[in-house]
Amino acid sequence: MTDNDVPRERMEDKKDQIYEDLLNILTEELGVSPTDVNPTLDIRDDLAFDSLQLYSFIITVEEAYDIRITDEQIDKVHTMNDLVDMVCDIINQ
Amino acid sequence: MNDREQRMADSLVSIFEKVLVAEEKSLQKDYFKNLSLAEMHTLDAIGPYESRTMTETAQILGVTVGTLTVAIDRLVKKGYVERCRDEKDRRVVRISLTRDGKLAARMHGKFHKVLAKHILEPYTDKEQDMLLGLVTDVEDYLNTQVSRYDDNSDTKQTAKKVAADVRRRKKND
Repeated sequence: MTDNDVPRERMEDKKDQIYEDLLNILTEELGVSPTDVNPTLDIRDDLAFDSLQLYSFIITVEEAYDIRITDEQIDKVHTMNDLVDMVCDIINQ
Repeated sequence: MNDREQRMADSLVSIFEKVLVAEEKSLQKDYFKNLSLAEMHTLDAIGPYESRTMTETAQILGVTVGTLTVAIDRLVKKGYVERCRDEKDRRVVRISLTRDGKLAARMHGKFHKVLAKHILEPYTDKEQDMLLGLVTDVEDYLNTQVSRYDDNSDTKQTAKKVAADVRRRKKND
């Protein structure tokens, strides 16, 4: 293992944790079934979220991580993986 | 008034009225039926992330603190705004949006963005830049007009200038 692999590994752990957190928010607060959620799931199309549900989800994520997610950033997010990457980027900024 | 000026005058009034009507209608048919447009704009002025003092918010909205207090009382009752004491100075009351308030403000912000997106969509990037440049010119002009009325001496000075211009034109006629 090289030195460069360590931070990458930590980053992957962090992303796994964020994915778990997002999954909890979706299932516990928005009533989505855990079996319906996977990393490539399209948040808008597969979950059939309307804009109110989407914003509700985003506001919960913002509050959970004490971050701000702009509309422009939301527009770029399609899958759960996209959202995990975005949250991770914002936290690391 | 020539034909172009008449069309511009009609369009300005029409745009102003229709944006308000569209906003009202979107509120009425949406999830926030118990919010008036003025209340929605108060939520916008507070902002989804900040906690503001009453004075700051009143300044943003261009109203007195007394007027704002009545509006905030209503929004607190409806569950969109909450009051809290400033941590550094307990005498100062700060206002911020509740979760429902944040949701309403973000949904309303989205309405404005979708409106703008649909207006710009049919045009090329170059045309969009040109259109934005022209709209900004109109906005700058209107800002100048509004600021004239904020300062009485300027208003008097401008009124004097207009009167002088009219006299000059009459003399030339």
